[in-house]
Amino acid sequence: MTMLEVEGTKASSFNEREFQITTVARMIEDGRSYWVTGGGTPIFAILLGQRRYAPNAQYITEDGVIAPEPMLPFEPIMTMVASRPSYRALAWGTMNTAGNHAQLGYMDYGILNGLQVDRYGNINSTLIGSGKEMRHFGGPGGADSIAANCWRIILMTDQEKRKFVERVDFISSAGFLDGTPNARERAGLPRGTGPWRVVTPWAMYDFDDERRMRLIAIAPYVTVEEVLAECEYPPQVAEQVETLAVPTEEELEVLRSQLDVQGQATGVRSGWVTLEGDKYVRQTGD
Amino acid sequence: MRILAEGTAPYLPVDPDGFREYVREHKSRALEPKLLSAQEAVARFVADGDYLVYDCNYLQRGPSILIREIIRQRKRDLWLCGKFTYVDVGLLIGAECATKVDCGFFYQGKAIDRAIDEGRLEIYEYSNVVMTLRLQAGAMGLPFLPVRSLGGTDGFSQSGAKLIEDPYTGQPITIVPALNPDVALIHVHQADQYGNARVFGTGIAHEESALASKKVIITAEEIIDTEEIRSDPGRTSIPYYAVDAVVHAPFGAYPGTCQGYYGSDTAHVIECFGAVSRDGVAQYAEKWISPFATDQEMLDKLVGEEKLSQLRANETITEGYRP
Repeated sequence: MTMLEVEGTKASSFNEREFQITTVARMIEDGRSYWVTGGGTPIFAILLGQRRYAPNAQYITEDGVIAPEPMLPFEPIMTMVASRPSYRALAWGTMNTAGNHAQLGYMDYGILNGLQVDRYGNINSTLIGSGKEMRHFGGPGGADSIAANCWRIILMTDQEKRKFVERVDFISSAGFLDGTPNARERAGLPRGTGPWRVVTPWAMYDFDDERRMRLIAIAPYVTVEEVLAECEYPPQVAEQVETLAVPTEEELEVLRSQLDVQGQATGVRSGWVTLEGDKYVRQTGD
Repeated sequence: MRILAEGTAPYLPVDPDGFREYVREHKSRALEPKLLSAQEAVARFVADGDYLVYDCNYLQRGPSILIREIIRQRKRDLWLCGKFTYVDVGLLIGAECATKVDCGFFYQGKAIDRAIDEGRLEIYEYSNVVMTLRLQAGAMGLPFLPVRSLGGTDGFSQSGAKLIEDPYTGQPITIVPALNPDVALIHVHQADQYGNARVFGTGIAHEESALASKKVIITAEEIIDTEEIRSDPGRTSIPYYAVDAVVHAPFGAYPGTCQGYYGSDTAHVIECFGAVSRDGVAQYAEKWISPFATDQEMLDKLVGEEKLSQLRANETITEGYRP
């Protein structure tokens, strides 16, 4: 079964990062609110989703911009506290505006990035390794509050063995913590929240009744075995693993010519995929 | 009150009564002119060992002129509020001005890696909003504030947070210590000579930072007449009595953007990332900071009026940024 199919001309060539962004764009639910991290792929996913499928989906950023109609494209790094991303918003606030509104339950979804994710959807963006080998990264930023307080969390990360682990080296942003029932509530987090989907350039995961990450769909250019080979800790696998639909030319036109015109998000470490005969094939050796 | 779990990190001691007494003693409630140069303001109000908060950052309506001045004056042993910040932490650590950071988010690079390896940097783990809520608590004169995030994370264990049983609901709740920094640096669009300040557009925690901090330096793109403040009081973001110094600083956020006034200098922005990334802060400072007695001299000689006019022209959006 193909999942998240949309109308349009199937693209014959695209890169894996574009595939990941169009997948999340198609998941955007109209009429809902999203708190998206300012940099990277989440903002492009919501903007593409709004333009193609969900015109009444709204988003907020960490600097308290509520429901903007941003002037595109953004300049490098200037995705918050800058005039273009906050253009024609309905309201301007500050970081505590975003934090408090999510804490109140106004944010249906959070979309964020992470360095490493584990079987219970805990996210690491703080450090990798331990002892002498330990390397510190930038910290959770807004992701801790997004992961704690939005009703449903969509994590966009890479499909790499060192990133899909049994237990993250450091929990920066809470998933289902140790996976026991009500672990989040026992840690003071709001009831009824938690990880919902994980989307990589190769696959999509949900969380089963025991809060364990579960593979539910793959890209047409990889096999389940290939995906599992890029998980240090094997996730649960759904009885029926579906195939995610490829990007359309119409989506790529918006993404490439309006949104990520400088390839800031899509150009990063991403392999190309082309249609050869009736098969989508990853270009290896990149 | 039952404590269910607690982090182990040191945090700036919490003392709301002490802060009130500081305010009573040191914060003038009279309307007094406070205009100073950046050099005088940093010399007088930033001391070695201070806990420092700056609002926004070096690239986005931050007090970049004062970050450079701190590096120029070789301040030492600062404790940074490292939230919503890209290169500032790396610049201040690379320049050996800071030794502690409360981490929300900052751009990590070899300049910081080396400080960690050499054992001259301690990092305590929070997140962006948790830090602005700590400032909120500090700005309310309270000892702590409950928050609905951070709980259950490893950041919690390496912070000053505690998990307690909420005496009202009986449910577990995380509390974080109020933050009352020694000094706040805030770049604004307009201010009068007394420190009544206007921020246009979004920000991170300028009001909270100003009210929570003992010493407050405002840098302003424009100094306006107090009559203008009085003609539109709803525009005042920060009232004068929270402010100790006002610095007239056109292009004070350079190389960053100041919304509605000018865009960022992209080439310089990338140079900053490079400096932090490859541990090249010393060379960065030798180029942009130390050859000049003041920031104005740097803007005049190294950036030039043509470039500055271009950055002003690049900022085509003005809606929302002018009274």
